[in-house]
Amino acid sequence: MAVSEQLIIVILVTVVALGFDFTNGFHDTGNAMATSIATGALPPKIAVALSAVLNLVGAFLSVTVAVTVTNAVVNIQDSNGDPLPAYTADHGQALLMIILAGLVGGILWNLSTWLLGLPSSSSHALFGGLIGATVAGIGWGGVHWTGDSTKLDGVLGKVVLPAVVSPVIAALVSAVGTFLIFRVTRRVSSGLNDRGFRLGQIGTASLVSLAHGTNDAQKTMGVITLALIGYGSWHHTTSIPLWVKLACALAIATGTYVGGWRVIRTLGKGLVEIEARQGMAAEGASAAVILASSQLGFALSTTHVATGSILGSGIGKPGASVRWGIAGRMVVAWVITLPMAGLVGALTWWIGDVVGGGLPGAVLIVVILVAAASFIFFRAHHQPVTSDNVNDEWQGAPSAGGTRQPVAA
Amino acid sequence: MFSLFVQDAWKVLLYSLVLGAGLPIVFALGVRSLALGSGVPGGSADGDTAVRPAQHPLGTVLAAICFLVVIAGVVVGLTYVIAAGKGEQLSFSHVYPTIVPKS
Repeated sequence: MAVSEQLIIVILVTVVALGFDFTNGFHDTGNAMATSIATGALPPKIAVALSAVLNLVGAFLSVTVAVTVTNAVVNIQDSNGDPLPAYTADHGQALLMIILAGLVGGILWNLSTWLLGLPSSSSHALFGGLIGATVAGIGWGGVHWTGDSTKLDGVLGKVVLPAVVSPVIAALVSAVGTFLIFRVTRRVSSGLNDRGFRLGQIGTASLVSLAHGTNDAQKTMGVITLALIGYGSWHHTTSIPLWVKLACALAIATGTYVGGWRVIRTLGKGLVEIEARQGMAAEGASAAVILASSQLGFALSTTHVATGSILGSGIGKPGASVRWGIAGRMVVAWVITLPMAGLVGALTWWIGDVVGGGLPGAVLIVVILVAAASFIFFRAHHQPVTSDNVNDEWQGAPSAGGTRQPVAA
Repeated sequence: MFSLFVQDAWKVLLYSLVLGAGLPIVFALGVRSLALGSGVPGGSADGDTAVRPAQHPLGTVLAAICFLVVIAGVVVGLTYVIAAGKGEQLSFSHVYPTIVPKS
């Protein structure tokens, strides 16, 4: 194998990783901003711009090292972050193919759930893709399923358990907050309530955006740096190249600014009809759960927390109703995100392997990714959700098939 | 591992309730005091605003205190995010938060 072939592969991995970071941004805009957009606290465009800037700032704030990001779920690195020697032959070709296939699994699952307007976890999509590609490339033993009795680790401890519990905690906190806020302010005029709580909402939503930038951009930075180490062009596991940090921060911020309007609509209008007091309770709960969790080293998905909080604000408001059908669809999406992204990641790896791996395999994988992504964008274009119709009266979730009435009248 | 998880989850719930529900409720108390202070029509949110109540200056003071508490909470939150990004963490062992290297 000539070196130049691996160089092209590592460039492909980097570009695809930035593509994942971009989908991570636009899939998650709604986590922070859906409630502010739904209550009119911020105009839609301003909300996504604010969130984008805060994600950018957040991405730069995080200077801690995330090179070991894959260690939570797969065994392709040692505990220092160096790739295992078994996968670094030929400029890390085996490692690069696993990362590439895993990223493709994550991106395609993110885009599919976005098409359906479902808020699914980008971290689960990334981890699922990596797990699938690892199973395909190394075998079941390559996956780090559980931790030992001394620490929470592995797929079970770092991904599955937090995913089950965090939305429940967020919903509980948000429901308690909403209920008591309504008790306290029930004699206050609705005008003052709306003005006051819209301000509070903007503040809490900004905190969530910032926390998102520090958490999520790091994961892609870690993945790209791992690829560079595997290839052999970077040798430090304690720092990340500046250009990687810059590129990832810009990718997640651009994604956030593009705004996943389909997901924003579901979160802001679909799940519960939300007003400013609920919005503040929900974002306050999200911010607190995210910050408390990272303080305690408890891994979780921003998406699960945000969705749980919004649901909680519907449960806590006296007389409010929750669209449990939508909530059910979301729960299904959460449960299947990891295995489905894993399946796509595994299939992608096999496809690359069938044509002999290496450069032809990598190029084929990327061509398939671009084709599938174009198809999804094409389907989405049939029934667009934009900043103009994101707050329209809820008639149903955006469906891919176009069988329902378009959202835009 | 499960008992570790339950312990962690319990702590997250506790902190989140205090900060995530507590601070918004203090904010709500602030809004309520503000209404009291400015003599904004009380009544229900439906607009039962027949009588304009008298102004209570104390309400404005209370509102200011409430909002200051909320702002302080947000500042602690922000400090946490920034400190965590630099590989440090907040310690509450001195009651007031201090920044210490991550353990």
